[in-house]
Amino acid sequence: MGLLGLIIPMEGGEEGSHWPPGVHSFDPKPLFPDAGIDWLNTYLLQAVIATILVIVLWLWVSKHQKVVPGFKQWCGEQLYNVVRNGIGRDALGPDYQKFTPYLLALFSFILVNNLFGQFFLSMFPTFSRVGYAYALALLTWLLYNGVGIAKHGLGGYLKMMTMPKGVPWPLYIIIIPLEILSNFIVRPVTLALRLFANLFAGHLVVIVFVVGGTLLLEQSSFLYKIAGGASLLMAYPIFALEIFVGVLQAYIFTVLTAQYVASSLADDH
Amino acid sequence: MEGGEGIDQGLRVLSYLLSGPLLYGFLGWLLDQWLHTSYWMVLGIVFGMAAGVYLVIRRFGRP
Repeated sequence: MGLLGLIIPMEGGEEGSHWPPGVHSFDPKPLFPDAGIDWLNTYLLQAVIATILVIVLWLWVSKHQKVVPGFKQWCGEQLYNVVRNGIGRDALGPDYQKFTPYLLALFSFILVNNLFGQFFLSMFPTFSRVGYAYALALLTWLLYNGVGIAKHGLGGYLKMMTMPKGVPWPLYIIIIPLEILSNFIVRPVTLALRLFANLFAGHLVVIVFVVGGTLLLEQSSFLYKIAGGASLLMAYPIFALEIFVGVLQAYIFTVLTAQYVASSLADDH
Repeated sequence: MEGGEGIDQGLRVLSYLLSGPLLYGFLGWLLDQWLHTSYWMVLGIVFGMAAGVYLVIRRFGRP
């Protein structure tokens, strides 16, 4: 089997070993299984391709800018405006321009990676691997904490994040650990898990419908074949739902990143 | 598209409500391991919930 055969998922293709679908369906497949470089797998390839795609897309869209935009420029500007105005300016107020590049890169990178889940050559969303989602959340974590410390100073930032106003001082002993856990651990972790779990679960449903449908079609009973055909047809609405979820999660991740930065920059809660 | 702030606030509330029982439940569990008892974890979870709710009121409630 060549390189292409490895990128194409095994959904429905293999017999026996892939039923029932589960966490193992998301195991990374090394590109060169015999070479002993396991880290070079399909997920990494997808992430790299997505990076290149995003860079090329924005370079292409922003080339030859005209005062009166053509169709290509108009489409690029519309997408750019969604991120800049709808996400950045909405959350960050007058400072939004500084963060627009990061937000735009984040949004388009997640979007492309999520749509890989529906693209016929890859068929796996990159962020159904939890490590990739953690990495993005870590970037956001560094950004919103760094920005907060830069603006308020380390002490001032920690005080703002962990000591809400109007709490009698003995209660701070109870409140401060809670705030630290919530603001510095739970919020970024849930940010990553939300992205991961949506894509993981959605794709698992697709696998169940496709692999299960194929399995039913191979049975001898006529009724099984009908059920299998219906199951395969049902996979298409689920695919449509997955596209929607992919776009929505890219949007939500970016919105929340902007909001986290905004809450670090806020003068007062 | 609007409503980003609402999403963030809702999820922060959720995060507080999760953190409370998690943190104090864990501390109670540690205490249980240490003292060989079995009730500190439950007390910790309930206490953590109360602390989380209190924090939500302090952060987001209207004065």
